Amino acid sequence: MNESRRKPLKASDKLVFLLSLVPYLLEQQVVDVPDAAAHFGVTDDEIRDAVRLIATSGLPGATGTYQPNDLFDIDWDAFEDDDVIVIVHHVAIDDAPRLSAREAAALIAGLQYLSALPENAGSASLGALMQKLTAGASAAPTRLAVAESESDASLAAIRAAVADGRQLEFDYRNAVGVAGRRRVDPLRILSQDADWYLQAYCHTREDVRNFRVDRMSDLVVSDLPIGEHAETVVPDTLFQGSDSDFDVVVDALPEALPLLADYLADSKSEEVDGRLRVTLRLAHVHGLKRLVAGLPGLVTVVSPAEARAAVAGWATAGLAGYADDEASGH
Amino acid sequence: MIARVAGTEPSGAAKVPVEDRLFSLVLALVATETGLLKSEILSTVRGYAERYDASGSNANLERQFERDKDEIRDLGIPLETVESPDRPGDNQSLRYRIPKGQYELPEAVRFSPDELALLGLAAEVWREASVSADSQRALTKLRSLGIEPRDPVIGYAPRLRVRDAAFEPLRQALDRRQTVRFRYFKPGEREPRVRTVDPLAVVLHEGRWHLHARDRDVDEPRTFLLSRIVGEVQPVAGSTFDAPPPGIQDRVIAELDALRLSNVADLAVTAGSDAEVRLGKRAVDGDEDAGVIRLHYTDEAVLADELAAYGPEVRVLGPASLRQAVRDRLRLVADAHRGRSER
Repeated sequence: MNESRRKPLKASDKLVFLLSLVPYLLEQQVVDVPDAAAHFGVTDDEIRDAVRLIATSGLPGATGTYQPNDLFDIDWDAFEDDDVIVIVHHVAIDDAPRLSAREAAALIAGLQYLSALPENAGSASLGALMQKLTAGASAAPTRLAVAESESDASLAAIRAAVADGRQLEFDYRNAVGVAGRRRVDPLRILSQDADWYLQAYCHTREDVRNFRVDRMSDLVVSDLPIGEHAETVVPDTLFQGSDSDFDVVVDALPEALPLLADYLADSKSEEVDGRLRVTLRLAHVHGLKRLVAGLPGLVTVVSPAEARAAVAGWATAGLAGYADDEASGH
Repeated sequence: MIARVAGTEPSGAAKVPVEDRLFSLVLALVATETGLLKSEILSTVRGYAERYDASGSNANLERQFERDKDEIRDLGIPLETVESPDRPGDNQSLRYRIPKGQYELPEAVRFSPDELALLGLAAEVWREASVSADSQRALTKLRSLGIEPRDPVIGYAPRLRVRDAAFEPLRQALDRRQTVRFRYFKPGEREPRVRTVDPLAVVLHEGRWHLHARDRDVDEPRTFLLSRIVGEVQPVAGSTFDAPPPGIQDRVIAELDALRLSNVADLAVTAGSDAEVRLGKRAVDGDEDAGVIRLHYTDEAVLADELAAYGPEVRVLGPASLRQAVRDRLRLVADAHRGRSER
């Protein structure tokens, strides 16, 4: 039943905002609208609307008529003339609200994921912070947890290089299978689930590239400082399109579709015999054969023929490693 | 007696926005110590009072109040129901209130600018809409303390996606301690089987989401991979259960870790290949010159999928069941892609 009732999420978020803004304004005593907006990450107008609502809210009171003394009040002159908020009378609430079980759990699990970061590894302060969140929840946090994963040993060195602004050198074998020594200006460490990437300006390619941390070896932090990158655009996504991309039509079981989300060329899909026919866009056939072989039975390439052949060839070459088993009649 | 005032407003008066009604309700319930009767709330609190009919049944308004209560509780606000000692079981004499002490963040829970910066980064982790919304709401609440976070942690963009459709319904079921039913496809079984379980914890281990639950049919705890849940997770109406012991999620992770350590795979990897570099990083043992590595794993079918992706770059030496699982997968892929597409 709760599934079908779509919660008016906006109203509940606004309620939380109102309940949080009141104690903040009381604590600050006098605060400029733009400062409050910056603190909460909302627009000036959102702050002004909320303040107007708060200033006319309160308790029904003994008579049920919302008499002035039962309402919040602000210094209206300061508000209207100078954009300054001063609460001069408040009712009912004055302190920060507790977190819900779900809210606390979401932050705790997020922190657990961050424990893979080198500076947090085995950190006691992270544990203390999680305990504080637990204490600040109105009920035991939802039993949601993220196992601490062993972070790649290279990550600490990369992190240090990012923080100090120093160049890195490493051997790298890219997705196409070409290996070589790279010298880069590290810009940002990006992760997706269990995979870690370095976004860096590559001196060899003279452009920003994403490097999988687990494909790096013989990593050395250089003494050379990184170049000036104030103008450099570091993309927010791992998968960027390029002119050399190619499209592949595949049939996928519906449950496999989320696993292909990064590669979908468009949102179109057509049902064919209980499977969904979709178009994927990939940088290279090397990526495709690994992707499809890793989703055995879930995804089948329909066209082009070369792509089908590449996947068949990859799997067949893999099978050849087990030729003895095949021969012995399994 | 409570006077009905707002209800006499001229028709066509601007409708009270939802957040205004909810805010007024919270204020009224925090301010009362003894609690308010439903009739008092509906006839006086802004957002209800305008629509209250002193002589009518107010059935719509009562339903509205029920939904608002749920919504407020969902936000972690402790809205209590107090039975009248004189008239237990009488719905009309129930009182509602929000105890201030349980509403407010305890004094001891205060955060440093460094901690807030870290919490900001923790909230950024989530790409899944509902968990992300929960994290952001938590941050809004913590901002009420007026502490400015230290500058955001630079140089990091950590992200955690949830790609299993079962995740959100299971998270809700955990919260509500609600029994659920789903179809589960266990490797080695011919088809998905219906399971009825009490969800106890949901954990991410080795990149996979697991559900730990009490299986009602066998009355035993079981751990399920969310990716193998087929179709919808459905609540079993009227069936709830007691809260699991605290820290159960940590115990589940410890069990999965123990399981991982007890499984050992020996692999031959091709020199200079992607498999050698990437699997090599996870190796616990091995002979680099011979191109042989050993690693631990939690689930054979999951590892077999991963190894199949490496094609000829990796060959399983043992155990035999893993070797066969990888071989079966490669055969499946090779057969499906042989010749031209029949379509």
